[in-house]
Amino acid sequence: MNSDGTTSRPCGDACGTMPSCAPLAVPYVPFQQQGSQKYSQADALANGTLFPGLNLPFHLKADASQLPDNHSTQLQALFFVVTELGMYLDTHKDDAEAFQLFRQYAELAKEGKRRYEEMHGPLTQLSAGQEAAYRWLDDPWPWELQEGGAN
Amino acid sequence: MFVYEKKLQYPVRIKNSNPKLASVIISQYGGPDGELGASLRYLSQRYSMPYPELKGLLTDIGTEELGHLEMVGTLVHQLTRNLSDSQIKTAGFDAYFVDHTTGVYPQFASGYPWSASTMQVTGDVIADLTEDLAAEQKARLTYDNILRLSDDPDVNDVIRFLREREIVHFQRFGEAIELAKQRLDQKNIYFTNPAFDK
Repeated sequence: MNSDGTTSRPCGDACGTMPSCAPLAVPYVPFQQQGSQKYSQADALANGTLFPGLNLPFHLKADASQLPDNHSTQLQALFFVVTELGMYLDTHKDDAEAFQLFRQYAELAKEGKRRYEEMHGPLTQLSAGQEAAYRWLDDPWPWELQEGGAN
Repeated sequence: MFVYEKKLQYPVRIKNSNPKLASVIISQYGGPDGELGASLRYLSQRYSMPYPELKGLLTDIGTEELGHLEMVGTLVHQLTRNLSDSQIKTAGFDAYFVDHTTGVYPQFASGYPWSASTMQVTGDVIADLTEDLAAEQKARLTYDNILRLSDDPDVNDVIRFLREREIVHFQRFGEAIELAKQRLDQKNIYFTNPAFDK
């Protein structure tokens, strides 16, 4: 990161950095640069990645999905960004800006999960154990198709 | 340990049954480059990884692949709901039906049952991570081919998501190789296997 708080990405989002004088006989994938552009959480879920630079679709299905905006997809979007940023941090553990974003999304996901469970029932056994009655068995289960319901 | 979350990673809502399509998508459940093999490969390779970022990445990607296994199982389940007598006779699905009815069984599209021979755990850092790069590409192209075979937009939305995840995982495994190399003998990264040679 630069002194003015911005991050320089001389190669743009679609490219990354490689080692100079790279040794022979080893595979190379360029490192994703810090400060890469990011989608909103809803667009991240619809595209399958938080990062526009990594969004490389196949010609037969190039457009992002049109997902319904409901409690279920809102929660999935928050959890998805936590998953994506966590994986990014596994290989970029010193990216302080990404870690701050990770913390923000983790908090949003925690609060979103609490509100979702109030309306739609427990997502984990731990949550089921904090309710007055045992609702873990309530339908629908995630693989079941429910008209207009949660999935 | 693992704790179940009663939700999918991404929504799967397939309105129309299509047993023929289910009989090819099953390959991403238990086929040679499917999600079952992916999750077991990564979660098994973790034990011999000497560096924290590699232990973490294999754990996190392996865990996400279990979520993808659930999504592919959901696709197969929803594509085979409420089948008519004529639908179960669909060429390509009838052979599956006779053994499994409409249960979800981990097998190749060809009918061969899931096999650990489709994956490796070498106990060697560079070899395992290089296999993982190839594994992500093989899964990606299988999803390409499913898009060639499918004309159901509900299915294609889900396949697009799963395919894109393979590309992100490929990127992370590539970065993981670079992180591993930085800790190895800089003159010859093959001088030792840090998972075994102390």
